[in-house]
Amino acid sequence: MITWPNFVSQLFNGLALGALLALIASGLTIIYGTLGVLNLAHGAMFMLGGYAGFAAYQATGSFIVAVLAGTLALLILGVLMERVIVRHFYARPHEDQLLVTFGLAIVFVEAVRWLFSSDSKTITPPGALAGITPLGFMLYPTYRLAVVGIVAVALLVLFLVLYRTRLGMIVRAGIEDAVMVDCLGINVDRVFMVVFGIGAMAAGFAGIVNAPIVSLTPEVGEAILVQTFVVVVIGGVGSFPGAVLGGLIAGEIISLTSMVNPGYAYVMLFAAMTLVLVMRPRGLLGALGRE
Amino acid sequence: MSDRIDSPRRPLLVTALTAAALIAAPFVLPWLGAAPNTVNRILVWGLFGIGFDILFGYTGLLSFGQSALYGTGGFVAAYLLTRAGFPHVVMALLIGMVAAAAVGYLVGLVALRRTGIYFAMITVAIAEVFYFVEFNPLSEWTGGENGLPGVPTPSLNLGFTTLHFTSGWALYPFLAFCYFVGIVVALRIVRSPVGVVLRGIRENPLRTAAVGHNVHGYKLAAFVIAAAYAGLAGGLLGVLQAFMPPEAFTFETSGQLVIQTAIGGRGMLFGPLAGAALWLFLQDFLQGPLGLGATWKLVLGLVFVVLVCFLRDGIIGGMRDAWRLVARRTGKTAAAVAGPAKRPTRPAAAPADGRAHAGNGFTGPIMQTVSLTKHYGGVAANEAIDFSVHAGEVRGIIGPNGAGKTTFFKMLTCEVPPSAGTILFKGRDITGMGVTEVCQLGLTKSYQVNQLFNRLTVRENVTIAALAALRGKFRLDLMRRLADIPGLDERVGDTLELIGLAGRGEAPVAQLAYGEKRRLEIGLALASSPSLLLLDEPLAGMSPTERAETVRLLKSIGQDRTMIVIDHDMDSLFELAERITVLQEGRVLAEGRPADIKADPKVQEAYLGGLNGKPA
Amino acid sequence: MRDQTSAPRRDGRRQFVRNGLLLAGGLALPGLTRRAAAEDHPPIGTYPAGVQGSSVTIGIGVPRTGTYAEQGEDELKGWQLAVEHINGGHPLMREISPKTKKGVLGKEVKVVVADSAAKPNDAVQAQQRFITENKVILMTGSTSSAVAVAMNKLAQREKVLYVTGISGSNDTTGKDCVRYGFRQNFYGETAANAIGPVLLKAYGKNKKAAFMTPDYTYGHTVTKSTSEYLTQHGGWTMVTNQVSPLGATDYSSYLTNIANSGAEVLLNVNWGRDAVLSTQQAKQFGVIPKMKLVIPYQIPFLAKNIGAELSEGVYAATDFWWTLQDKYPLAKMFVETFEKKYGYKPEWGAENAYMSFAMWAEAVENAGTFYPPDVIKSFEAGRKLNSMVGEVYIRKEDHQLVRPVVIVRGKAPKQMRNKEDFWEVTEVVPGGPLMQKPDAFGCKLGDYT
Repeated sequence: MITWPNFVSQLFNGLALGALLALIASGLTIIYGTLGVLNLAHGAMFMLGGYAGFAAYQATGSFIVAVLAGTLALLILGVLMERVIVRHFYARPHEDQLLVTFGLAIVFVEAVRWLFSSDSKTITPPGALAGITPLGFMLYPTYRLAVVGIVAVALLVLFLVLYRTRLGMIVRAGIEDAVMVDCLGINVDRVFMVVFGIGAMAAGFAGIVNAPIVSLTPEVGEAILVQTFVVVVIGGVGSFPGAVLGGLIAGEIISLTSMVNPGYAYVMLFAAMTLVLVMRPRGLLGALGRE
Repeated sequence: MSDRIDSPRRPLLVTALTAAALIAAPFVLPWLGAAPNTVNRILVWGLFGIGFDILFGYTGLLSFGQSALYGTGGFVAAYLLTRAGFPHVVMALLIGMVAAAAVGYLVGLVALRRTGIYFAMITVAIAEVFYFVEFNPLSEWTGGENGLPGVPTPSLNLGFTTLHFTSGWALYPFLAFCYFVGIVVALRIVRSPVGVVLRGIRENPLRTAAVGHNVHGYKLAAFVIAAAYAGLAGGLLGVLQAFMPPEAFTFETSGQLVIQTAIGGRGMLFGPLAGAALWLFLQDFLQGPLGLGATWKLVLGLVFVVLVCFLRDGIIGGMRDAWRLVARRTGKTAAAVAGPAKRPTRPAAAPADGRAHAGNGFTGPIMQTVSLTKHYGGVAANEAIDFSVHAGEVRGIIGPNGAGKTTFFKMLTCEVPPSAGTILFKGRDITGMGVTEVCQLGLTKSYQVNQLFNRLTVRENVTIAALAALRGKFRLDLMRRLADIPGLDERVGDTLELIGLAGRGEAPVAQLAYGEKRRLEIGLALASSPSLLLLDEPLAGMSPTERAETVRLLKSIGQDRTMIVIDHDMDSLFELAERITVLQEGRVLAEGRPADIKADPKVQEAYLGGLNGKPA
Repeated sequence: MRDQTSAPRRDGRRQFVRNGLLLAGGLALPGLTRRAAAEDHPPIGTYPAGVQGSSVTIGIGVPRTGTYAEQGEDELKGWQLAVEHINGGHPLMREISPKTKKGVLGKEVKVVVADSAAKPNDAVQAQQRFITENKVILMTGSTSSAVAVAMNKLAQREKVLYVTGISGSNDTTGKDCVRYGFRQNFYGETAANAIGPVLLKAYGKNKKAAFMTPDYTYGHTVTKSTSEYLTQHGGWTMVTNQVSPLGATDYSSYLTNIANSGAEVLLNVNWGRDAVLSTQQAKQFGVIPKMKLVIPYQIPFLAKNIGAELSEGVYAATDFWWTLQDKYPLAKMFVETFEKKYGYKPEWGAENAYMSFAMWAEAVENAGTFYPPDVIKSFEAGRKLNSMVGEVYIRKEDHQLVRPVVIVRGKAPKQMRNKEDFWEVTEVVPGGPLMQKPDAFGCKLGDYT
């Protein structure tokens, strides 16, 4: 129903949803922008971060350790995946890249199902963050609020890395023209590996941080993957600011449509993506000529 | 991977073998422990995959949205047979197929506006939207999450008896027949001119358009064909299960199709069948006897990844390569490698001078540009170029790097729209037309960087170009045999002769030497019998011998048509061309006969910064 | 029976002839019936192929993965216990099916199990395989009503009997009913009519209600039945109905809408893991305890997963709760033997599973044959059976078991006597008056053959 309090509540809710999508999409967009590989295993990586964190949580009972574990595990996995498999596909047609990452996504999901079973796993948020915060216009779970803050910090860190460090500069140059970077004598192989690792890490971090909000199941990455595509397309491929903007827009589309008819929320998202693809394929902040 | 498109015995053999296998299956397979339902499912997936293979394996369009069409066809048929009480099963299936094809057409109009990864993403979105629509707004017709139960099985009234195809092995003949028909039709399609063009699109869509084919139209045709197969398969699924499930619309269904095709092998039509057999076999075997439970999918995922990494052409491709390896070792196919039939050697006659593009009787400049300009942002690549060439002339264009020569060519062939100015070809304003249309009018280009169809044979490369000249930019002759196209063999043969590759017709492009590739590059442009042929640095990267040969070739080509040649090799160009135009920084610097240009101080300065230390 | 109106003289002779015939008939009867049993009925479905040997097989398609996995496992245990009891002639089973000795008609019962993941397509696929390969003579398993409906149709086409697992939709014995399908448990209409009066009494009239509904047949029919009852009988208004997809994990958008709707009562029709997540998140968003929570169709293990603090004071309608053992002797037997074997007290999914197999065993024993049309007629005869909640019988017009609905209310944590003591039974409402008229939902049973 469309009332003013509901509108404000949903607006805020969309911010929370969007922040998370922005983080995951950043990872996907820098991988695609630099390597030219659309990582269909990105959703699975989000899921893996959650499970890696869960395993650590079960072992130590500490949420902080869980977050570290989830993030680190995915950094390592991302690097390994790039070195062992993805590297060999740069010269192959796009379709083959899509196929191999798609296959890896399945392997990851099924491996988790085998190791952890299909039951949903819950992680309780740390005591200080469990609870409800009154926000004036609505009551909001404290942990979700915290996540907005955590994700904002993560995005800031990512921004600093990309725009204030030498590595970040090389990565951004590589997004523009990887061949040129190679010609300049920079070890592009290592850059690619690092980029993939960072992208995977972003997804993994998002996965473990998000785990206390929804429960963990092996399928949790599937829906996220498609939503992340939408964000990347709307924001513009290879553009970090585009991913952030796209994420926020996507989050708002979902929550504001829910205000009217929750069933249509995700469909509106896809409609928006198709519209962007057809009318302005480079997205809102993407560079021309990236098709 | 090169597919042979001109071996006559193969289609019949393949068809006969398929029929034999389908007939033998119900007797052989139970011995291997295959359940009838599983076999039936494999057939349905196989049929679904034939269309997808035409779309992906042959045209190179990876769609993750085939489930939308599968579901559409299935639900239309199921709705007719259950809620609408329509009596004829086969009729309902055909209606479902047509409905899916129609929907596929509309979806294709949206999805095909982009290529590659964006295309894939649009198809994902479309699949999700269709699933949602099935569930919610249309749940009155589709039964929502329940699907449509109660789909009947077909019966055939033969007059003296009625055949009831119920379930299990009783239903198998019906499904096997559908699959057989599907394969036969598909074999015809891929062997038709359309099939060749689709393969060209897969290999090099840019060049396919440049040789005169309406690429978008063909892609849409492939999409609609895939949709029709998907729709029929969806209907059969409903019949097979007595129930049309909403799962037909899910992304998983599309994903399973893609995986099965990749595992089985793409571009071979039978790949999806093999992939489905492996998938369903693993599903039953790993869950049943081995008792692995849900882990079967992990094994399947691993198999899939390994195959994508190492066996690019899937299981069938791997078997084919293994067979070829064995056959080559035993020397059986030595003759086949050299070429099927021995072509009688003809004198190197000049190919037909584009009778369709009647340049004869046309007086005046065949090509003229008026104040042609192209700006890229703040950079003026070409600035107010006035240029004209007369019919039969051989014109050379030279200029230092960055002069705007290639940009100029791109505008002439309408690959790139000018910022200002007009282009007139045979007196007709072609500014803003597309590259395909312009080729059909008689203007083609050979590229600076080879734009060939790399995984096809030399012969197939030239055929693609020739087909556009003989058939126009778009024709849906799906059932026609290549051999039935009048003049095709002749044109291809003549072109090959002319460029000196007559003996290399069956060689895949990847095996050619660089010089041979360059000649093929020119041959592709020639095969359309253009009245005006543009050549962008035809001599680039060639050794002196190759250069001399190519100049000879160009001279003989130039006898019957107008040519404009860009190159940096002054000596060769001055020998070849009658007049030279010099471009510098986007403008025409000078124009005249080779000797005059050589001596022109402005030109000398542009290249060398002056002669003998004296600035002009 | 015709009256004898003949004259006395002829009467005696007639009597003699009649008695003689009766005697001859009576002597011949065993021979006739034995021959009838040995005599081949025309083959239909998996009969007689599935009953040739010394055992018969039942096909079970149950969710072992996905949103309903936890409930599915509980059901599976119920079936397995029932099979064990049938084969061993356990006293509990004999209370429900007195003719059972060992097995069914002397044949051992086996089961084959597949994971349906609560998806109709997977369930149908698996059961088709069971039919061709194992020649199952009974199929079961749903948990999701979408599966039940699809299985109904499959059963009718293949002519193999089907008893539902958990299925709450009105449609299963409503518009999607079939001759070959039977349902044991309570469903939307009976749940609504049972819990409606309780809610009106507890909360009063003219309240504002928010519904959370999973987007499929079960969700829609339960919400419809419940809201209809409350609006018609108590003047309640449905201020919002938040429909979410089955398997949704994030309910924040829906709960935000609900929080702003002004509702006083939240009726959560979500099931399985969806119910757990939506309820937990409702608490996180402050919707509970601001609004009163009601579970119109109870979920096994819900209270265990959300915790007694959240289930305290919550009204729910269910098929069975273990504390009924204090009231019904069969319930006590059931709870004891189940707990001994599996280590926890059974939920209603297990009870439903056990009962449906027991019903089937009883019907077959009574029919004296596995021949499906005869078994169906045996079901339809409407004999009164003993059950864990008293006397029940099958209504022949729609194959729905007429049985009571149990209303429970969540206990406060400090009132719990042991760690499974989540609910107290407040009422056991007789089923008959709760049910709709047989043809009200458009049920048309199909043919016997």
